[in-house]
Amino acid sequence: MRESLSARSFLVLPQRGGRVSIFEIAIFAGCFVFATVGLSQNFQDIAVLSFLWAGLALAWNIAGGFAGLISFGHAAFFGIGAYTSTILFLHFGLSPWVGIWCGGLLTAGFGALLAIICARLRGPFFILSTLAAAEVVRIAALNWASLTGGPEGLSIPPAAGMANMVFMSKTAYVIMMSVFLVAVYAVTKSLEGSRYGYYLYSVRDDVDAASAAGVNPSLVRTSAMALSAGLTGIGGSLFAQYFLYLDPTFIISPDLSFQFALLAAVGGLGTAIGPVLGSFLITPMSELLRSYLGYQVAGLHLVIYSALLIVVVLYFPGGIAGALTRIAGGRAKL
Amino acid sequence: MTAILRVDNLSRRFGSLWALNDVSFSVERGELLGLIGPNGAGKSTLYNLIAGALSPTGGEIVFDGRPVTHMKSYQIARIGIARTFQIPKPYKQLSVVENVMLTAFQHEKSVRRARALAAETLSDVGLSNYIDVPVATLTVGLLKRLEVARALAMRPKLVLFDEIMAGLTPAEVGTMTGFVSSLPARGITVIWVEHVLYAIMKSASRIMVLNRGELIASGAPAAVVRNPAVVKAYLGEEMSLA
Repeated sequence: MRESLSARSFLVLPQRGGRVSIFEIAIFAGCFVFATVGLSQNFQDIAVLSFLWAGLALAWNIAGGFAGLISFGHAAFFGIGAYTSTILFLHFGLSPWVGIWCGGLLTAGFGALLAIICARLRGPFFILSTLAAAEVVRIAALNWASLTGGPEGLSIPPAAGMANMVFMSKTAYVIMMSVFLVAVYAVTKSLEGSRYGYYLYSVRDDVDAASAAGVNPSLVRTSAMALSAGLTGIGGSLFAQYFLYLDPTFIISPDLSFQFALLAAVGGLGTAIGPVLGSFLITPMSELLRSYLGYQVAGLHLVIYSALLIVVVLYFPGGIAGALTRIAGGRAKL
Repeated sequence: MTAILRVDNLSRRFGSLWALNDVSFSVERGELLGLIGPNGAGKSTLYNLIAGALSPTGGEIVFDGRPVTHMKSYQIARIGIARTFQIPKPYKQLSVVENVMLTAFQHEKSVRRARALAAETLSDVGLSNYIDVPVATLTVGLLKRLEVARALAMRPKLVLFDEIMAGLTPAEVGTMTGFVSSLPARGITVIWVEHVLYAIMKSASRIMVLNRGELIASGAPAAVVRNPAVVKAYLGEEMSLA
């Protein structure tokens, strides 16, 4: 057929996926070296959290950013993972090295269940159902005291040792969380630009068209949610090994669910590098604001934090990753 | 020739309205069948039933010798029935070629080969200048062509076109008509719903007319448009002024 090209020039999208770029390696290596060598113990706490939240934002992004299953209930998966490895350790003496995998598998199952029940709901109704499901888990954990310790929570004895997965040095935790982050990043990177990754995008953008193209929407959504939930559960177990204390009010709070979503959205939904950038910028900022301002003017750190988030949401709709892509002329391969 | 699609006594009710009432017909392999009818005649309902987006109230659909009446739409797609949507349904955050790759995956599992097949199909419909363009920037006419490319990248046995000419210039209608007419020779059976009648009159081997959920005529294009029942459905009854 005749080619018709309109006079206006079009933005050209970069191809998705492909190799890991120098830019990505530089970010990871730079932050890792800085966190292990360049930081004092106090600041290493911030690094541990930045790495962990980056991994969790990436895990959330598989469901929320890639498959369009915006979940405000991921704290439930985080909590179930944390409780599973901790309970297996405290009650049965099972090493957390094994326990985290049990937690991951169990939460993957819960994720699949949630998708089967809720993914038929569209848009805001799905979001609300995930929020409600997480509240059910939180309230169950609060009341099932014989298993979870109820509102008093569970403590992991601070007996350092490789078998217990408890360490004295913060550097060990930095390494632990980096490994988690790199693993989730590798999973995400393999989705980006893969056939399965495109299936996720298709159910996000138009379910009817995806189905007419031969994509089974329920299978794709269920598997995406299971993968996202399982990785979140593993992150929850790692958090338990670091914090050594769990209670339902913090670990299954809606705040935590919002945080996963927010870090991913600020960084750039549906990309691999976005949630990492989001966490590397937002987590230290929020922690530092809290430690410097939190005790002088109560609440001021939250005002500044929220104002910055509003700016990002208003002026950088594609998140930080989207803005960087635009700056680089639409050709940058992030 | 053998029938690739057989529809027997197909009906679909929405509440008290029979959108499709006891419709039976068959389509020969390699045929280019035009399907026309006034708005609300049941054309889109018929498409949705064949493509598995809706379940019939009664009746049976047989494709390529096997019953497919209650299959889901993704299963229907996998056995070789492709469709376009009357209102284009692009994946809004993807590029043009990525939109087509998703149907190409039915045929080519590797991303690289699916991209090549998608690019080839896009050049068939005149979109090769838009390959890496975000789909959100396309005009309606271009989106219609994208729908055609998406359906064909699946390499279907049967394709259901739903008003693919809307929004095209007369010159584009000409080239698109020529392109659609070439599909049966490539082994693709076509059913084509179209309001741009002269396009379909020229190329269809047979035209079927639906009105108020019922099949009122079927035959050669020239004969069908002179059929009194068809004229009545489109224009109403002749009035006497006396």
